[in-house]
Amino acid sequence: MKKFLILVLVAGLTIFAFGCAKKHVKPTDEAGAAREEVVEETLTPREAGDVSTYEEESLFEFKDALFEFNKYNIRPDTRAVLDSVASWLNDHRDINVLIEGHCDERGTNEYNLALGEKRAKAARDYLISRGVSSKRMSTITYGEEKPVCSSHNENCWQRNRRAHFVVTR
Amino acid sequence: MKKEFKIKSLNLKVVMFFCALFTFHFSLFTASDAKVYIDITSPALRKLPISINYTGPAEAGQIAGIAEDDLNFTGIFYFIDPDIAGAEIRVRINVEVLEEIKADVEVFDLIANRTVLNKRYRADRKYLRALAHGIANDVFEVVTGRKGVFRTKLAYIVNSGNKKWLYLTDWDGYNPVRIVSKGLSASHSWSPDARYFIYSSERNRKWNIYSLDLKSYREKVLFSSKGLNLVGGISPDNRVAFSSSRDGSLEIYVMNINGTGIKKLTRSYGIDVSPVFSPDGSRIAFVSDRGGSPQIYVMNSNGRGVKRVTFEGPYNTSPAWSPDGKWIAYVGRKNGKNQVFMIKSDSTDLRQLTSTGNNENPSFSPDGMFISFDSDRGGNKNIYLMSINGERERRITPRKIKAMNPRWSPYLKK
Repeated sequence: MKKFLILVLVAGLTIFAFGCAKKHVKPTDEAGAAREEVVEETLTPREAGDVSTYEEESLFEFKDALFEFNKYNIRPDTRAVLDSVASWLNDHRDINVLIEGHCDERGTNEYNLALGEKRAKAARDYLISRGVSSKRMSTITYGEEKPVCSSHNENCWQRNRRAHFVVTR
Repeated sequence: MKKEFKIKSLNLKVVMFFCALFTFHFSLFTASDAKVYIDITSPALRKLPISINYTGPAEAGQIAGIAEDDLNFTGIFYFIDPDIAGAEIRVRINVEVLEEIKADVEVFDLIANRTVLNKRYRADRKYLRALAHGIANDVFEVVTGRKGVFRTKLAYIVNSGNKKWLYLTDWDGYNPVRIVSKGLSASHSWSPDARYFIYSSERNRKWNIYSLDLKSYREKVLFSSKGLNLVGGISPDNRVAFSSSRDGSLEIYVMNINGTGIKKLTRSYGIDVSPVFSPDGSRIAFVSDRGGSPQIYVMNSNGRGVKRVTFEGPYNTSPAWSPDGKWIAYVGRKNGKNQVFMIKSDSTDLRQLTSTGNNENPSFSPDGMFISFDSDRGGNKNIYLMSINGERERRITPRKIKAMNPRWSPYLKK
């Protein structure tokens, strides 16, 4: 288990070092600072091991649940993503999550805030149906205000049309 | 002419900025009579030949230039060189600058051979632009019998990284002042007397509705609940329409401008958002996806009598009601781009007003002659103005900033 952890951590840090700033979990300020320091050095298993006190549960990679343009229903291929989130949350009952609803840039700002709200709630409702307590989940919409990708093509738009999970503890 | 775009965020500046509206001294020597030189509602509009000449120091030329820019954008004037015959209206501006600016303005009817306006304007030197806009307002009113909008303001959002700030600016884009620097600002609206500015903002993962007193510059939370809370329009009797998901799904509500008397108007599973009052306060236009796609609907302000207004296109949002109550401007998606359209509230007479780039967030000037909107036609989103017939357009924010979602102020008190 420990080796696996180190592997995951090294992989994670490498990706971080290569500038992919996509955050799957929101580290606390202290953890974030610690992580950055390590990135600047060459990683050895021992050093990585030092950081592995960093909580195990944070290492779960929350994938975004993706949506169709202007829709807020859960797609069949998104269910697998949400099922894995549900099963992990059911195994870690001390963890709470914030579900952010996001949209691509093509709609209008105000309507997109409404749409993002619906997406976050659709993801939450699905997780409730898979046994996650509603008390452990909160939702917020950011509409098109916080894109993960800024190109003007479908590949990028699809990445932005998402429900994104943030650990709030 | 190079526009200045200075960021001023001090409360003091905002206070000064509103003082400019009050420290103005007018003295009217002869009142104009009721003759209207141009009926701007006439479909066959003849442009009125007008000349403006000025005497005095450099400020005189600046003042005349600003007034001419204002009048020119209305499209109802035809400017004639003062040295050449042909004008029917002559405007003479004589300026003196001591501690303050003093401008004597005479508007003369060259056909009837008589003075129709003779007025002295005084203002501190830093309010030169406001003084010039005041002259343009009076010339416009003498000629058309209608109030000019040259002393009105626009509120809009500036995108700065993760933040969205609210700014106020003169109608021509000058004198931008930052009024809200916290959080991620979204929808916003003026109270009918322009005393309060109501807006939605996301702070610490909560979407609340805030109210800013533009006199004291005091902000307070007007409405707070879990979920999304987005302010819409405000009625002439100070009822605030908004959209909230406090009960789960997004519904339209109204409340008083002090936050009391909350009433829920819609009940549907889907999205109900962006409510705006008709100018008489009797009806509300809003966006709903109850028919399967976002469309504009109209209902009575008690929530009854819902009727769908838009049927063309799969995505119609962002309604704005014209000041005469006849038209609803909105954003429709066509050929993969967002465009500003206008339609009568009974679903007839659909007109497309823009065609280049994405054009969003229409808002009428208080006289209904112009629409402000944002557009990405030049790269970054910027604020533009156009006449409602689409004939004239101008960009009023610098290209290098990202500006969006303009809301035109009501007429402001002098």
